Amino acid sequence: MEQSQNLSVQKPKAQNPRLRMLKTMLERLLQNKLAVFGGVVTFLLIFTAIFAPWLAPHDPTEQNYSAVLQAPSIEYWFGTDNLGRDIFSRVIYGAQVSLQAGLISVGIALIIGVPVGLISGYYRGFIDEYIIMRMTDAMLSIPALVLALALAAVLGAGLTNAMIAIGLVLTPNFVRLIRGEVLAHREKEYVEAGKASGISDFSIILKHILPNTIAPIMVQATLAIAAAIIVEASLSYLGLGTQPPNPSWGSMLATGQGYLDSAPWIALFPGALIFITVISINLFGDGIRDMLDPKMK
Amino acid sequence: MDDQMYSKKLLTTLLLTLLMVLAACGGNDQNDEAAGGEEEPEDLTNNDAEDTLVVGLDDDPPLLDPHLSTAQVESQIFKAVYETLINVDENLDPIPGLAKDWDVSEDGLTYTFYLQEGVTFHDGADFNAEAVKYNFERILDEDLGSPNASDLRLIEEMSVEDEYTFVVELEEPFAPFLSGLSHRAGQMVSPEAAEDESIDLSNEPVGTGPFQFVDRTAQSHLEFERHDDYWGDQPDYQYLEYHAFSNEDTRITNLVSGDLDIVNRVAHKDLEQLEENPEINMSEEDGIGFQGLMLNTDREPFDNQKVRQAMNYAVDREAITEVVFHNGAEPAVSPFAPSSWANNPDLEVPDREVEKAQELLEESGVEDLSFTLTVSPSPAEQQLSEMLKSMLDEVGFNVEIEQVEFGAILDRMYEGDFDIARLGWSGRVDPDGNAYSWFHTDETYNFTGSSNEQLDELLIDARTTVDQSERQEMYHEAAEILWDEAPYIFLYHENDYKPMKDNVQGFNHVPDGLIRPADLTLE
Repeated sequence: MEQSQNLSVQKPKAQNPRLRMLKTMLERLLQNKLAVFGGVVTFLLIFTAIFAPWLAPHDPTEQNYSAVLQAPSIEYWFGTDNLGRDIFSRVIYGAQVSLQAGLISVGIALIIGVPVGLISGYYRGFIDEYIIMRMTDAMLSIPALVLALALAAVLGAGLTNAMIAIGLVLTPNFVRLIRGEVLAHREKEYVEAGKASGISDFSIILKHILPNTIAPIMVQATLAIAAAIIVEASLSYLGLGTQPPNPSWGSMLATGQGYLDSAPWIALFPGALIFITVISINLFGDGIRDMLDPKMK
Repeated sequence: MDDQMYSKKLLTTLLLTLLMVLAACGGNDQNDEAAGGEEEPEDLTNNDAEDTLVVGLDDDPPLLDPHLSTAQVESQIFKAVYETLINVDENLDPIPGLAKDWDVSEDGLTYTFYLQEGVTFHDGADFNAEAVKYNFERILDEDLGSPNASDLRLIEEMSVEDEYTFVVELEEPFAPFLSGLSHRAGQMVSPEAAEDESIDLSNEPVGTGPFQFVDRTAQSHLEFERHDDYWGDQPDYQYLEYHAFSNEDTRITNLVSGDLDIVNRVAHKDLEQLEENPEINMSEEDGIGFQGLMLNTDREPFDNQKVRQAMNYAVDREAITEVVFHNGAEPAVSPFAPSSWANNPDLEVPDREVEKAQELLEESGVEDLSFTLTVSPSPAEQQLSEMLKSMLDEVGFNVEIEQVEFGAILDRMYEGDFDIARLGWSGRVDPDGNAYSWFHTDETYNFTGSSNEQLDELLIDARTTVDQSERQEMYHEAAEILWDEAPYIFLYHENDYKPMKDNVQGFNHVPDGLIRPADLTLE
């Protein structure tokens, strides 16, 4: 009892440097106006996506044939499309699709990329050098969109398959990043010490190396979400992503393309949202990177 | 389907669109060409612009041999380079073509054609009765495998009476015979060129038409030049070019910017905008085809007649013609357009009746009402399919939309691998061409698998009867049976629109939708 009390008294003291570090990092982030802007917009988008059913004034798939191609008005804030659907509501539901695509495909890339990168970097050798690295080289040599397009075409059109395709395309970036981090850490004294004291490889990788690679993974993942959103929009634009009548910013853009002269609002709003979303997430991601980088002042 | 045969190849479209996306992302200066989806630089023609007519087509015509052709876009080219024995006027009545006159015997079995004299093919060969005989034999030759042979199949005997008189004996009367001769089966290719193995007629057409073939760049354009020995009136201009733009927006942009003189097809959404343009003249004509949904009656749930009938009441045809076609189409309930003499005026377009459709579905006792609707990947088709899904889902169906490139849809049709497909027909001059091969049991385009004895009898009687008022009654009855059997859900008859620059004169709008370039003059 006494001992534990002692500990609890000492705990805050021991955490002080950590807290201080967190505080300086937060301060650094808050000083970065662009990152704050990005973070706020990203937060708003997540909020919109989650509460879409309450925020959207109309059913996003409801067709109103007496209100086709209407310009923005009080009833239809962003106008209506070629089937009389409310673009404002569709854009709100489209946020769900975009964020879902961003998060899930990056999740897939992490689930595959992190273990492969860890093992590849830690054990090195033939499999690392000649199989995993050459495979990532091959995948990285193909432009991401083309690769995603090919994969989505093979898997079949649809949001789920599009997310799998994007996830696979993003994977080699994570493998390379994590492998590089592991290579830097595996020669360090603490790993040597761990090995010397007989800790299993599994524990060293999981408990000692992985926590040290979290920061770069986080930054990379944030930026990858933005990329994934663009690729999902592109695939939907080409008809391989979200299938009609479900709203996706990319497919809305494709519809609007034919009406650029007569009803520009159809393409304008989803296009603007893709732009704002991607730039916000990127700014936020950059902010996090600067925040975590100890060399930054 | 004819008018969609030239639909985009999915891969090409994807790659072009991809180029567009990449170019847009790359932001470099050379993206103007890629962004158009076509490789054409600013100036389309190398020829003297004053003396050149440039036609915009909605796709690159695959086959330039009229006897092998099936796509409507190919027929556009044929109007420049080939001529038919019989022509049709604006009322679709037969008028002289390469045959300056003809007689039909009382029993409707003997046709005597008196041919135009002094006609030569572009390669110098003479056009005469022997040439006609050669062409008919070529079409009927099973080795050639002409999809247009059915127009001539009832020929029992043909003979060359003298150099310019040609006689055909039929096995039995065949009312659509002359109509067939105004189409691909009546197109005359040069016998010498057809026999010459070094000439590929599918790529280098040789006919008697006012323009002769000069050059072709695949997936881009075709060049023609005035045929100096042409027997009729010489065209007003020296050069004729056809440029293919499968992207409807690019096609119209090129017309508005002045690079194209006339365009064969326009998206209905652009109609108003074009009509407002003072530099563009728009010609409009009722179409002769039909468009709708092909139901696979060999599959559940469409093996049930009540389910099929329910669809007839579940769709809102007026809304479709208004929203997708901006009133540039007529609601359809039969294969015959309202302007056709075969159209049954008693068959009225029903209002959408949700309750009636639901009752029919209930009576059918079918529980699983899910199916896949297969459409080709064009913006208008997508818009239409989303409307259909919304209408059909509301009465109790469960529709999944599948976008498949048009050629692939056709393959699937032949294999019977579909639930419902969006497939229509550009139409023929004679009503037989809109009915027999589509709805007679086991005929070429009857992919529905449906069969009705009474209908079969009517369709056969109607084509072997010569008297038009008798035929009219038969087609009226056939349309009623089709409505009741509902193997095909008729949705709309599309009107034909031809936008052209205001300096293009003399356009004669025949409802078959073909541009006859020799009629046109440039001011």
